[in-house]
Amino acid sequence: MMRITWRNRYKFPVFLLTLALLLFLLFPFFVMISTMLKSSQEIYVRPPYWIPLALAFDNFIKVWGEYHLYSYFRNSIIVGLGTTFLNVIITLPAAYAIARFKFYGRSTILYSLLAMQMFSPVIIIISLFRIFVRLQLLDTYLGLVLANTVFTLSFTTWLMFGYFASIPKEIEEAATIDGCSRMGTLIRIMIPVAAPGLVTAMIYAFITAWNDFLFALSFINAQPRMPLTLGIYQFVGRWSTQWEMLTVAAFLALIPVLVLFFLIEKQLVSGLASGAVKG
Amino acid sequence: MEKGKIRRISGDAWMAYALLTPAVLFFVIFMFYPIIYVIMMSLYQTNRLGILMNFTGLDNFIRVMQQETFWAVTGRSFVWTILAVIVKTVLGMIIALCLNVEFLGRKTARMLFIIPWASSVPISSMLWRWVYDHEFGLLNQTLISLGITQNPPVWLGTPIWAFISCIWVDIWIGIPFMALVFLAGMQSVSKDLYESASVDGVNAAGKFFYITLPSIKQIIFIATLLSSLWTFNDFNTIYILTRGGPAGSTDILITAIYKSGFEWLRFSDAAVMAVVTFIILMVFSLFYAKMYFKGDEAL
Repeated sequence: MMRITWRNRYKFPVFLLTLALLLFLLFPFFVMISTMLKSSQEIYVRPPYWIPLALAFDNFIKVWGEYHLYSYFRNSIIVGLGTTFLNVIITLPAAYAIARFKFYGRSTILYSLLAMQMFSPVIIIISLFRIFVRLQLLDTYLGLVLANTVFTLSFTTWLMFGYFASIPKEIEEAATIDGCSRMGTLIRIMIPVAAPGLVTAMIYAFITAWNDFLFALSFINAQPRMPLTLGIYQFVGRWSTQWEMLTVAAFLALIPVLVLFFLIEKQLVSGLASGAVKG
Repeated sequence: MEKGKIRRISGDAWMAYALLTPAVLFFVIFMFYPIIYVIMMSLYQTNRLGILMNFTGLDNFIRVMQQETFWAVTGRSFVWTILAVIVKTVLGMIIALCLNVEFLGRKTARMLFIIPWASSVPISSMLWRWVYDHEFGLLNQTLISLGITQNPPVWLGTPIWAFISCIWVDIWIGIPFMALVFLAGMQSVSKDLYESASVDGVNAAGKFFYITLPSIKQIIFIATLLSSLWTFNDFNTIYILTRGGPAGSTDILITAIYKSGFEWLRFSDAAVMAVVTFIILMVFSLFYAKMYFKGDEAL
């Protein structure tokens, strides 16, 4: 077959190129793994080397307790779950309404949902700060949850709208005939059928909150309230940084978000872009 | 309101409005009101707490636009975006082409390529800061031991290298998205096209330029547009790597807004730049929305 010979000829060079690209692009992670197992004396040695002399596994224990990583993790989990929860309760009714009802202003809402995904939170960060001062939301979990929800809600609503709209109306009509109320169909039919979409939306909200740095930087001053990103940033000192602690913390903070990301990666890509192509 | 007078609002529509109320309220309080507030701040004199003092019209705009740094920062925002998106597109395309060939370990490679995108941007920016370290960083050590250079640059210490270093991190984060989207596009192209091209003796480059590229034209367009917006809005990379330094050489609009507000407490200046950025993004996103909804029967 023509196709197979064509493929075969390129297989090996492509494999090598891919390997080279991977080595190049994953470089910072190799550095992370090398650094996180070094002792504090080994960090500042010239010339630097890759393999630690003795594997300093106690870095993990130290960073968790002494360096407050435990507290940063807890805060990130609280803010992440809060953002996820708030997203779900606001987005479900909204997305359902847009997908299933005809009403005046529907297309305006769709346009705004799309447009709002384009805005950087930095644009409103100074006024949001003023509002948070007045509502006494600085240094609170609620403040971070609200801020993160504002900037995830448009995408999650958009995503759920897509899922709801793709469910055939007949399924709902059948349920209505069987005596299900509108709310009943939403809860018993629509949400279970759109469950994969809902999971994607939830994980997206959680990840975005987990990765937030800007809101934490702007609204959190008290160390006991700092989420991971800002907490780890505290390791960066004015004169010197404890890179072995920073890299251990980075490693631990990246694991959950990588796992979650891989769960929704396919839906995320299509939600972000290829959905746009079918239109 | 009397029923059926101007527009009949059915029971269904009322239901829809009720379901939308939480979302709309939320956006009004935490999105639209702040936007209005920023616009107000840009038109008022503000004190160091960001409280509106007195109305000064466009004075703030005139003052900010007379500063050279404003234009430098705005220009840099565009250079930053254009350069980064071009490199992301090219590298993303190369990776997508690689992953489109069926070699052993392709699935694993695809997963590994995603890691920079899947990682938390602030955290990877901190990692890069260590990678770039002039004296103790493993990047310079690697460059020296590979014999590429004996005098590696002080990556984050000189204006030009700092800019290049920051833009590279932004590119590095953005490549996987491009690669994945392009790959998805390539895999939806009919295999028959390639087979008949092979029969006609078209080589690989010919197939790429005459079949692949035209087939995924629209995907490339959407992906680059989205990526431009994200790149333009990037805050974390620059702030964490250089805080806009040295001497403001890596500041773009987004970081300049933040620094004017939170570091220099010049709230009106920050608001002016925010409004300018808002307008730029507005034009961008209207354009995007137009493309998105073009011929979409869902509306």
